[in-house]
Amino acid sequence: MATNRDMQDTGQFPPSDDKLQGLLVHLDEATALLGEARDFAKPGKLSRVLDTARRVLLQPGGAAALENRARALEEAGVFLGSDWATPQYLLPYLTTYSLKSADANTVVIEALSELRLLAVAKGDYPHSLVSAEQAHHYLTQVMALNLWLLFSAPSEAERETQGRLAQIPRHLFRHLAERIGYEHIIDKLIEEIWRILQQRPIQVESVKQMITQIAICHADPNIDLGASGQGADRLVSSLFGPTRASREDPGIEIYRERLSSMDNSALQGEATGFARAMHDTGLVSPYHPVLLRHLLDHGDHLLAEALGLSSTGRDCLLCYRELARALIRGAVHPATPQAVYGLTLTLERGILYQPPVAPAMWRQLGLSLSEWSQQRLILAFGDAVSPRARLLEGVLCMLGLPLGVGQGNNPTCQSARALSMWAYNDPDYLLQMVAWAARDDEIIMHFEGMPLSSMASLSGVAQTLPMDLDPVSLIVVPHLDRIYAEMGRRCIGREGDPHRWVNPEFHGWWAGRGFRINVDVATGQLHELDAFLRHFYASYHPYYNGNQPLIHPQPAGIAVTDSAARFIGWHAITILRVSLDPSDVMRVYFFNPNNDSGQDWGDGVQVSTAGNAERFGEASLPFEQFASRLYIFHYDPLERGELARISQEELDRVTQYIHRSWGADRIPPADLQADAGPQPQDY
Amino acid sequence: MEKNPDKGYIALLGWSLNAIEAAENFDRRYLVVAPEWAEEYCQKHDIPYVPWNFERLNDRSMEIAETLQERGVDVAIPLFEETVEWAGAINSVLLDNPRLYGQSLLLRDKALMKRRAQLGGIRVGIFEEAHDKGDVIRFLKRVNQTLLKLDGDPNDPIHLKAFDKAGCLGHRVIRTPDEVDTIPDEEFPVLMESHLDGWEFAVEAWIHNGKIAFLNISEYVTLGYSVFVPASPELEQYRPQITAQIEKLIKAFDIDFGLIHPEYFVTSDGEMYFGEVAYRPPGFKVFELLERVYGFNAYQASMLVFDPKTTPDEVKAFFPREVEDAKCYAGCFGVYPRRRVVSRLEIPEEVEDDPYFESHELTPPMEETVTKRTAFGTHWGLIYFKGEDPNRLRDMLKHQEELDFYV
Repeated sequence: MATNRDMQDTGQFPPSDDKLQGLLVHLDEATALLGEARDFAKPGKLSRVLDTARRVLLQPGGAAALENRARALEEAGVFLGSDWATPQYLLPYLTTYSLKSADANTVVIEALSELRLLAVAKGDYPHSLVSAEQAHHYLTQVMALNLWLLFSAPSEAERETQGRLAQIPRHLFRHLAERIGYEHIIDKLIEEIWRILQQRPIQVESVKQMITQIAICHADPNIDLGASGQGADRLVSSLFGPTRASREDPGIEIYRERLSSMDNSALQGEATGFARAMHDTGLVSPYHPVLLRHLLDHGDHLLAEALGLSSTGRDCLLCYRELARALIRGAVHPATPQAVYGLTLTLERGILYQPPVAPAMWRQLGLSLSEWSQQRLILAFGDAVSPRARLLEGVLCMLGLPLGVGQGNNPTCQSARALSMWAYNDPDYLLQMVAWAARDDEIIMHFEGMPLSSMASLSGVAQTLPMDLDPVSLIVVPHLDRIYAEMGRRCIGREGDPHRWVNPEFHGWWAGRGFRINVDVATGQLHELDAFLRHFYASYHPYYNGNQPLIHPQPAGIAVTDSAARFIGWHAITILRVSLDPSDVMRVYFFNPNNDSGQDWGDGVQVSTAGNAERFGEASLPFEQFASRLYIFHYDPLERGELARISQEELDRVTQYIHRSWGADRIPPADLQADAGPQPQDY
Repeated sequence: MEKNPDKGYIALLGWSLNAIEAAENFDRRYLVVAPEWAEEYCQKHDIPYVPWNFERLNDRSMEIAETLQERGVDVAIPLFEETVEWAGAINSVLLDNPRLYGQSLLLRDKALMKRRAQLGGIRVGIFEEAHDKGDVIRFLKRVNQTLLKLDGDPNDPIHLKAFDKAGCLGHRVIRTPDEVDTIPDEEFPVLMESHLDGWEFAVEAWIHNGKIAFLNISEYVTLGYSVFVPASPELEQYRPQITAQIEKLIKAFDIDFGLIHPEYFVTSDGEMYFGEVAYRPPGFKVFELLERVYGFNAYQASMLVFDPKTTPDEVKAFFPREVEDAKCYAGCFGVYPRRRVVSRLEIPEEVEDDPYFESHELTPPMEETVTKRTAFGTHWGLIYFKGEDPNRLRDMLKHQEELDFYV
């Protein structure tokens, strides 16, 4: 036993530092035992290491001590057999879950992994799998994503699930920040916020929190930001003081008083200031609604200015003057500022000109919500405004930002996709759904002529009621999810993939009845890949479909891969359009109901969300790369393009992408050998 | 580790990862004899393995002995109570010594074992076999009559134990005739013993060529809850008497080699009473405690003394000096949930922050409702402590009984 006798012999440990020293002796012993153990015996020795490391992390200076031991811990086999053993594939955003885990071992192993990468980043530990630069980059991302850990005390929820454990991520991050430097985090965080905002999500609460953290950080004289954090000004001001009269964040009441004594040109200045901030960031300051409500008593001109409307939006505002004013009165409050942005973009889209939409909005304004709907809304968003106003804000945002819908942390991508598609393509249908769900607690859809009620269908894909959603999704998704699952159940026993029948019935008549899939459902093997790709090109690629732009958004299925191009799962998306980008590359623009579309799918396939002519909320990939992750698409059987003209070379490139990623273990045996009785692989 | 072909080839009877690891790191060749469920694991990790189901001895029993003999195995070591008679049967073939089988049966039956001890001149309490509840009530009354108790005086308790189970499994304490009704019929027959007021302790003694190679005294703080090694100086002062007792035991049971694990009481007047003896590693991870204290691996120690090709010099070099070479005191405490409904594991901060606390093996609760303990039951996991002061360690171990680890 590698015991330090001196340490043992002291017997009594005075508090603090000596306590840490005592624990480190225990830790070194446990690490040595783990290191010496044979592989089969390691699992039995691991928990002692992790438990001791947990106690070390609770001590002041514990994180630093573990950083020094990072190499010894990794070599002893702490990460062996887990995802942490391959740090080059670790995904920063997963740390937000592991660090909040109620399981002590998960929190500790995540912390150890971070400290190991810190040692790598600092050059103290040359690692065979990650470079110092990679480690540094990873850590700044992790810190930016978990900035709340640096600046906030544990929330009630954390305390409840984690108890004392909640201190560990905080100790860890304080140490990381000291070693890496705050300036790196802040800059990274700002970049990250802008990247997310460029996608114009409906839910901006977490972004607002991060901006608030930065503002606090700026104001704290103890934090030296150096030259960094300058790009935060626009973000912070857009929330807390976008205009002359709100510059110093005076509070709603004072601001309202200031407005009452302003002349027209001052009001004009305020209106322009708010509009610019809103269109720059997609975020709306709580002062903005105060101005808007104030302007209801003034002319339309100032109102249009305050919304920053173009001529299209202005026309719409003037045309639907009473409706717009009623919507401001009903939905725009300091507690629902995003309603301003939703209203603005709804007007800009011109969808009020579609005959059923304006009357449907009037219905929405007067809709009485069921008890259940009211409770859900209050539970999720509080009672600062009435549930009806909250839902109205949600409706305006969804109509204004159809591609800003997110599924939250729920397996309900189909429902989120449907809502987005209706908001985009069929807004009055969406409003109908909202009315049924919010007022009647029931939605009825038809599947092949048979009515399906969301009340009668027992279970959906999601096991629990989702809460982390925008107001419309919060109310409608549980119904859609159950109906979607029920449609799937109606297809049990049919040969092939159920999406063939479910997708058109669920999403709308415009989803093509033609259907192709490149995976054999029974074996999981790739199936008729060449024909699948030719058909996809012929249906969607303007060079092969007679230069026909995509008319309606189409549901499609993709095989999501991780940053190492390994298969993660099947995912529902919407193909929106296919066209040349500014550098003349043919791109597919699509909607991903996942909350952040900018993902690295590995093998060089990096989904872009801005800079390649994407509109707000669109994701895009070059056509070939997109085709390489596609596994299901729909088409109109009567509009087939020219399969023959697609060059084999081009298809081979796509096929190679597939074989290098999710298709790697799905390649069927060559046709000639098929008779020899191929072994089906695990699916 | 490099294996020495001149030394013995050892079969481990039963599945214990700690024993396998010890064998991997020792110079003796070895194989594991375990039920078929272990096969996949052994293949995956390259562990030499022979499948066998240890049910009751039957007419196929010869088969395993012959298999091992063909493989060139020299000796079999029992790791659990249930494999003790198997080891006896197998070793009587491997070592060509039929007496070993009879010896193992003695060591497996608590009633036979007590008689044998008594015949060997060792002091035991009053004991009897019980076949039904009537026997128990009669014994309880007789014992208390003998103690000159009057009607209405509180009874001295009696202890009930299964004949052939390890440690505290099936151990019950009975004080009144009412309590007899709580014993399920299927637990009979049992061994009944009078209660001895005294200090209970256990011994782990490694025996080579009929002599004690190493003798450890394990001090119980509370039976079934906590133990530490080496024993405190107050108990260690009896070491000469204890050694004499063990020598009597070796003679009475005619033990030539192996590890024995007897339990004793020492009464206030310094008299030793024999409780029982097992021919296998002790429960409650005393082996782990010994490794923390002395640094030697107790499984390897057993392999050494079982191996017929081991020389006396080798044995002498292997073991440290008792007590003198101990680096510290190490103890462990078996946690039982104290509440009826528990939702999570929470180590009390006062325990975790104590410098004597070393580590724990507790896992989160699998279910919320705690099964009511009958008899002594099984603990949910151990916590380990170590430190310099045996009195402080003992107080700590005792104090753990008042703490909630599952809330």
